Amino acid sequence: MGSELLVLLVMVGVFAAACFALKWPVSVAMLLASVAGALAGGQGLPIRHLVEGSFGYVDTILTIATAMVFMNGVRASGALEALSVAAIRRFHRRPALLLVLLTLVAMFPGMITGSSSASVLTAGAVVAPVLLLLGLPGEDAAALIAMAGILGMIAPPVNIPAMIIGGGIDMPYVGFELPLLLLTMPLAVASALWFGYRHARRTDREKVLAALDAEALDRYGMRLFLPVILVVALMVLDKALPRVFNLGMPLIFALGAAATAFAGRRFDPFKAAKEAMDQALPVLGILVGVGMFIQVMTLTGVRGLIVVSALSVPPALLYAAIAVTMPLFGAVSAFGAASVLGVPFLLALLDKDQIVTASALSLIAALGDFMPPTALSAIFAAQVVGLDGYGKTLKKLVLPSLAVVAWALAFIVFSKQIRAMY
Amino acid sequence: MIVYLAITAAVAALAIACLFAEEKPTRQATAAMVVVPLLLRLFLIK
Amino acid sequence: MKRRYATAILFLALALAAGAVAGASFLSMREPEPIARGPGVSEIRKLSDWFPGLAGGPGDTEVYVLRGEAPGGSMLVLGGTHPNEPAGFLAAVLLVENARVSSGALYVIPRANASAFTHNDPQEAAPQRLHIRTPWGERVFRYGSRATNPLHQWPDPDVYIHASSGQRLSGNETRNLNRGYPGRPDGKLTERVCYGITQLIRKEAVGIAIDLHEASPEYPVNMAVVAHPRAMPVASQVVMGLEMEDIAMRLEPSPVNLRGLTHRELGDHTETLAVLMESPNASQGRLRGRTDEALALTGKDGWYVKAQKLGRLFVPYGEKGHPIEERVGRHLAGIAEFAAAFTREYPDRPLGIEGMPSFEELGEGGLGAFLRRP
Repeated sequence: MGSELLVLLVMVGVFAAACFALKWPVSVAMLLASVAGALAGGQGLPIRHLVEGSFGYVDTILTIATAMVFMNGVRASGALEALSVAAIRRFHRRPALLLVLLTLVAMFPGMITGSSSASVLTAGAVVAPVLLLLGLPGEDAAALIAMAGILGMIAPPVNIPAMIIGGGIDMPYVGFELPLLLLTMPLAVASALWFGYRHARRTDREKVLAALDAEALDRYGMRLFLPVILVVALMVLDKALPRVFNLGMPLIFALGAAATAFAGRRFDPFKAAKEAMDQALPVLGILVGVGMFIQVMTLTGVRGLIVVSALSVPPALLYAAIAVTMPLFGAVSAFGAASVLGVPFLLALLDKDQIVTASALSLIAALGDFMPPTALSAIFAAQVVGLDGYGKTLKKLVLPSLAVVAWALAFIVFSKQIRAMY
Repeated sequence: MIVYLAITAAVAALAIACLFAEEKPTRQATAAMVVVPLLLRLFLIK
Repeated sequence: MKRRYATAILFLALALAAGAVAGASFLSMREPEPIARGPGVSEIRKLSDWFPGLAGGPGDTEVYVLRGEAPGGSMLVLGGTHPNEPAGFLAAVLLVENARVSSGALYVIPRANASAFTHNDPQEAAPQRLHIRTPWGERVFRYGSRATNPLHQWPDPDVYIHASSGQRLSGNETRNLNRGYPGRPDGKLTERVCYGITQLIRKEAVGIAIDLHEASPEYPVNMAVVAHPRAMPVASQVVMGLEMEDIAMRLEPSPVNLRGLTHRELGDHTETLAVLMESPNASQGRLRGRTDEALALTGKDGWYVKAQKLGRLFVPYGEKGHPIEERVGRHLAGIAEFAAAFTREYPDRPLGIEGMPSFEELGEGGLGAFLRRP
């Protein structure tokens, strides 16, 4: 059993060397770490396993790629700036309300699709310019969007980590709506105010209003928003009438992307799509690398080492283990954390209310989307705001994340009392 | 299913286009990594 | 400029080469393993005989029919509902190759989800095959996935909505055969296979249906029979009967609020007595160490031993693991007890099944002693 620890050290070491010393992309570092781990584990060069692992994210890759193409089309058509003009014109006198509304808008695609990346890349990109106009520094705007992305992913109706955790103990995804709302909505309001209010309060919004470039909005009017409305409508219909529609996110984004070509300013759709793919590739590569990494961890037994070590802590420290290991495992994958650690932790907490506990565990797992190197939510949020790196965004997220963990743990501790409330 | 294969084909084609447009070898390697599962799905192998 | 294209072509070539190597390995999973025709097999039919909508597709699968000389009751055994739970599949194979029926009829579907045998789950690092030595050579069996191959049913929805109840589950459960019952003739492939099995039970008036599974050692329902309410009287006799043979087995009622499973829906939608059996399988668990063929066959795993000491498991777990002979033996002993208990409960519909290797015989001789040359 000591050999698993050796393999883990080799994998982490090779990853760190490639990523930090050689400055290679995370994707390539993950690939090298996986190969090194397999060799150290006596598995040779298991090409079948490396490729098979990457298939865990094929659907996610299609979702992210199509979402990026769609958003690039929305931007190129002029709809993004027009949307911010419209929002500021309407709500500039009530910044607190505007901030909360923008946060809910940023959460919406995540609530519907269960994907923080889809949320950040679409609605996040829509609200980003408004947040900047309201006077939020780029890092704060990105941090708010990233937080909204993971809160959206956890908020009902669709919460995939909770489904994964529930599925592991054969608990259907029923009765989660209320605890998930209780869990996420207070955090959404608090995040909006924490990241935004102190900046928005001080901004001279009349001046901002005067400086807005309303050219696209005035020229094309509501037509500009049709692709966005189409995508939102299809997302809602997909969930409301799943037996009729059942299109899936990639197809919805592909249809939306096609619509952007006819909505406003003319642009070269092939060039825009290639640019979008260029932006998406580092993250798509990370997903492929993460898939290989998890497969090799499973193959060599490192996964067992991690799970059993997390469960070996004395009962009193179980909460600490949850708070530390689940977000940390998110460095590899938040969904992975839900599946690999969420299920055993829920089994270790069988005396609690299962639905409230699984909901809270899903929130802690979702925080893994802030954990470098994958940090999907933070990377995309920094990208849609137009920042060069995501380091400063992450720093802004540290304190709020600790608050989120504390909030979620409180839900676990008081799960029965919370259940009794409704 | 056929629509999704078409989307897979489009994403794979874009990834290959990016592979050839990239300057840095490590970024080319990233694009190549992404291409593998997409092609295997496209050709109904996995 | 030139150098850029040179490296691009190099990386693309490497990607294609890796894809080709892996692809050949993936394609090799499509070849079904032979199953020998045992002395008791009267005919080998296809599930599409009961639901023609499956004919020629990846969901169609062999149904082995073993008929007795004397009339009697009938039993259906499902192996390979989850091809990553090998004891269920192998128990069904041993049944086909060894059992003889004196009264009544036995239907065996060793590969209930045939599509799921053709691939492995990403990130589970499962072995592709299990090799079992026999006195005359080696038999090879595939170790597949829990779910239908996405090539046969893709993409998954974000949320799987069970058709007849509206229950919502994670999207990938759409491809889980044991969440799709009673199935729909116009549904997705997995639901159509469910429908085919439901139709078989209805048309043949199957008296008792046994779904063979395995569960991870940290899963609460394990070393257990899960029974539909109507199957409880028979199932409780089975548990007592196994107790007499020193085989510990729990009895669990089928939960009312968990839909789409055999022990719930087949009992609700047909006349059959629906039950499911679980044996402990480390190779599908989340706490397992190194994942390979040996783990699937022996169950020996240091991490599970440690987890047992920490009180995290629902089954005893020692250095000896839970070898495949023990797990298959539990299933076959359970099937024998079910046949006996069914006959006691419904004497007008006797089920006489002989020739199955016993729990002790499997422990002594291993599986190989009872596997025939195909």
